[in-house]
Amino acid sequence: MMMGLFPIMLVVSATQAMQPIIIKTADMELGLLPRSPDQIISFYEARGFPRSMQDVLRKQCFITTGISNHSNKKIWLDLESWEFHQHGKPIKRYHRNEWKQRWQKMDIPMSKQSTFRWTLIPETLDYLPGEHEGGNVILPFTEGYFSLKATFKTGDDKQGKVITITTDKLYCAEDADEAASEDAK
Amino acid sequence: MKSLISLSAAVFTLLCSTLLATSLFPVPTIAADNAQQIEVPFGIRHYDIGQAKNFSLSDIDGEEFELNSTRGKWVFLHFWASWCGPCREEMPAIQQLADTMQDDLHIVMVNTAEDEDTIFEFLGTIGVELNSLMDSDGLITEEWKPRGLPTSFLIDPQGKVKYQAIGGREWGETLYIDFIDKLIKQSN
Repeated sequence: MMMGLFPIMLVVSATQAMQPIIIKTADMELGLLPRSPDQIISFYEARGFPRSMQDVLRKQCFITTGISNHSNKKIWLDLESWEFHQHGKPIKRYHRNEWKQRWQKMDIPMSKQSTFRWTLIPETLDYLPGEHEGGNVILPFTEGYFSLKATFKTGDDKQGKVITITTDKLYCAEDADEAASEDAK
Repeated sequence: MKSLISLSAAVFTLLCSTLLATSLFPVPTIAADNAQQIEVPFGIRHYDIGQAKNFSLSDIDGEEFELNSTRGKWVFLHFWASWCGPCREEMPAIQQLADTMQDDLHIVMVNTAEDEDTIFEFLGTIGVELNSLMDSDGLITEEWKPRGLPTSFLIDPQGKVKYQAIGGREWGETLYIDFIDKLIKQSN
């Protein structure tokens, strides 16, 4: 039943050169894995997502995110407190409500909207001791590395210590052929 | 082409779903359930949210099912999707639970937002004999607000939600079988 981040590394290394960024603290673990457009689209295409939806999603930057609570207290996820920056400028993360509105405007079938929502990480969640949950974070496609500063409140009443995790190694994954053509330039 | 898509989907499923709704701590520990004096296994929490929201859905054989029809027995209500890796891993354990508890427990499986062919093929591929309800538009799942997929709830014979499982669990293990068995015996 146990599936950690290690199996992901094995599979990714066999398909694409992408590696997860895994940040561990005494209390928790945060895993971030950029997904290439081909990876994303192959998943949604196999789920029967309409072409119009695929076209929109192909242009975005998907980071599959896993969070594990290794402590004996609640750890609170609130994506509103996550800050993405590049060269001092913020990168605005797409809120799940923005997707809902977009799909509704496009008349996307409810089943596809539902599946899409379940592939996103929740906007907020209280991680219980030992719990691991995850899903995708979606950003506008951004070239080059960018940073994340993620803060987590702790304790039942959110009054415990605040955990701050930072990385400046995030990036949006490209398809292998795109990356190769960039390298050739 | 179809096999290529299937392979891609399988790879992505493995990649993505390992991050979804599963525990990194499979070693069970015990917490005391003061209210009922039944030990609650690790990965299951009290979830007293009152009366279970009734719903009516068709299963993959086209039979209509209403949750309220299960009154009088404990219910194991499970939300899942074929693309979710932990859901796939958990299925044999649920089959074991179903085999073990047989007449004493209602196993109610709800697939989230997939079509009949996908569900049928998936259940056949992993070799379980479980039927599943089809929440085709995903709205029943939304109403139940699972923390992720998979999620399981335990509902008492009066139709009240009592427990929620966090992520996938080894339901066929003695620890969980004994827990559910005690719940059933206590309510008899």
